[in-house]
Amino acid sequence: MNKFLKKIVIYGLASFIVLNLIAFLSLYFLGKSSFYKQQFVKNGVKETTFDYIVLGSSTGLTTLDTKLIDSLTHRSGLNISIDDSGLSSHYLMLQHFYLSGKSTKKLILAVMPDDLENEKPKLNGNDYRFLPHNNEDEVQTFFNEIEGDNKIIYQTSKYVPLIGVSYFNTELFFPGILSIFQPTKRNLFDQNGNYSYPTINSSKKLEKTSNKIKKLEYKNPYLTKIIDFCRLNKVKLIIYQSPIYKTEVIFPDELNCVNQCSLFNVSEFFYDEIHVNSKGRRICSEDFSKNSFFLN
Amino acid sequence: MLFNSIEFFVFLPLVFVLYWMLQKQKLAWQNGLLLVASYYFYACWDWRFLFLLMFSTGLDYFAGLMMQKAKNEANRRFWFWLTISINIGFLGVFKYYNFFVDSFADLINNFGFQVHYYTLNIILPVGISFYTFHGLSYVIDIYKRRIEPERNFVEYALFVSYFPLLVAGPIERATHLLPQIKKKRSFDYSKSIQGVKQIIWGLFKKVVIADNCAFFVNQIFDNSANYSAPELWFGSILFAFQIYGDFSGYSDIALGTSKLFGIDLLRNFNFPYFSKDIADFWRRWHISLSTWFRDYLYIPLGGSRGSNWQSVRNTFIIFLVSGFWHGANWTFIIWGFIHALLFLPLLLSNSNRSSLSNSNYSLKDFPKILITFAFVCLAWVFFRADNLTESWNYISGMTNFNDLSFQFFYKNSKYSLISLICLLSIIWMIITEWRNVKRNNYEIQLSKCNLFILLLMIFFMGSFKNQMSFIYFQF
Repeated sequence: MNKFLKKIVIYGLASFIVLNLIAFLSLYFLGKSSFYKQQFVKNGVKETTFDYIVLGSSTGLTTLDTKLIDSLTHRSGLNISIDDSGLSSHYLMLQHFYLSGKSTKKLILAVMPDDLENEKPKLNGNDYRFLPHNNEDEVQTFFNEIEGDNKIIYQTSKYVPLIGVSYFNTELFFPGILSIFQPTKRNLFDQNGNYSYPTINSSKKLEKTSNKIKKLEYKNPYLTKIIDFCRLNKVKLIIYQSPIYKTEVIFPDELNCVNQCSLFNVSEFFYDEIHVNSKGRRICSEDFSKNSFFLN
Repeated sequence: MLFNSIEFFVFLPLVFVLYWMLQKQKLAWQNGLLLVASYYFYACWDWRFLFLLMFSTGLDYFAGLMMQKAKNEANRRFWFWLTISINIGFLGVFKYYNFFVDSFADLINNFGFQVHYYTLNIILPVGISFYTFHGLSYVIDIYKRRIEPERNFVEYALFVSYFPLLVAGPIERATHLLPQIKKKRSFDYSKSIQGVKQIIWGLFKKVVIADNCAFFVNQIFDNSANYSAPELWFGSILFAFQIYGDFSGYSDIALGTSKLFGIDLLRNFNFPYFSKDIADFWRRWHISLSTWFRDYLYIPLGGSRGSNWQSVRNTFIIFLVSGFWHGANWTFIIWGFIHALLFLPLLLSNSNRSSLSNSNYSLKDFPKILITFAFVCLAWVFFRADNLTESWNYISGMTNFNDLSFQFFYKNSKYSLISLICLLSIIWMIITEWRNVKRNNYEIQLSKCNLFILLLMIFFMGSFKNQMSFIYFQF
């Protein structure tokens, strides 16, 4: 019995150490790459000051083309949006952006109505992408304070990297391996951080959509944190709403807001109900470039 | 509490340490601890059904004693049929009630009559098919005077409820398990080491192979009309590996866990995808169930003795019942029927036992293995599909070679990566099993290097985010 327990403990411990070392290295190499937006902001962007940044979820990522806006307005911008995320992740991303030694004059915060009204935000689907940076206090504080399924995985990964890396192995371990050989590879975004949905025939997908009007209230506590962060760092905050098919959104007056929600209602410009395609993106970006909130 | 959950990996070492701490005490302490642990394990699923398990255990125990005490044959027969009826009755109500009501109503409707009927919103108690069959074999063996009834209730209850086999088998026999429960057990180092190895091997098959294959299988089977013939073929092949990884993985963890307590369970799988024909397949797949049906149904019906007609009838009965055991759906019955059809030529040509005499493999066996595997995959379509219409649509899609695209498996980087994981892990499993088959190993043998590679694959290729329950829990 003692021999068995001894052997199990020795081999178990040795395996645990080696597996954790592998997990740590995969996070390390991923952290040094440009694979996800979090790493791109830290390692793949040379400039340190920007006139504006676009921060949001998939709508922010795919609606405002910073390359086009820059060429039209002679400003320098960067899109640091992350798909499948929410205001809580945006707040963390903003902190991470500053901790990476970057700064901006304006923040274009691309929001979604449901997220703005969410009083109890939880962990978002792509928050694991912050795990390579969990040595940053802000990242660890975020994982400690926010609620969500499998919160413990995020909290403990700083000390036992195997937990997070094995749980998100296809998302962290394999990109980590890839990063050893291709550290500059980016995951579905260009050198300005933008991505565009293809132009497909989406009329069938959208035909059942009916007209909606939404009157919003700002309830998400992370919006307050973002406002405070901007005030502290002298960043001008502009709330941005991208087009939603057959939907009108009315925002409260208290914040500067560029509302393109009903800029167009033609299915030709949509990829699905809440995302525009490359044609729609062009129209939105051109229209945004003319907006006084943005230009002043 | 799933075998591949964190809770189980806290529960198991705790019970293990306590169990061997009681080694110097009376055997009753060890058995008592295992019984309490088993009831706790079962209550973690749904504590309400614990009472059903206890009732079923108590009934069979009591009926066994009453059969022995019976003064005449009629009295014995009474207790025998009473307990058989109640056991089958529970199974019928919980598992088959809605199926029979729906099928009867459909039949009546086909004759132009409208019937008003009620189906019940019944939750299937996990493991009911398995522990009912434990009890049935015990009662039948007593009735046939093959064994004496067990007088110690704790030992009998442990035989029925022993947690490694409680929810998905293997289906044990009183003649095999009870003597081990009644014997004083002392710690066996090599058995425990083999147990740990088997648990790791089972986890690999479940977490890496089965759960990753499920990623594709679920999408393909849920919407088979959207996929090309090659994609559908691969869908059925991946399901073959999913169900094998899932069920044999479970059995390996069960057998390995039991070894840690010094108890050997019946072997449930013997590398079935290396079978040379369907008869061989059934000697290697879910062995504890097929031998149960052989001993308690096929042989009492006359087996292969008697005329050809009787042999064919018995073969069809055993395969159809075996299919129906899996679930209350016509798809399982058709699955059993297909296997009976595939078995028939072997039976009629008297070659259903030919693979027994030649357990070695030569080059000419490979086409046989591939053909058997292809037939098995085809039959799995019925097993996996939700209903017969979907099965037929799936099969017809497999034969529609107008569209030969294969893009589904590499439509983006995530799909390509999971395809690669499935491919690598399946190849690894086949190579490992092949080595063991060639050496006629009774159990999988793994070197330290193999074990470490398995651990690497479990942690870095396992599907933890999309963890699936074990398929056989629904039966």
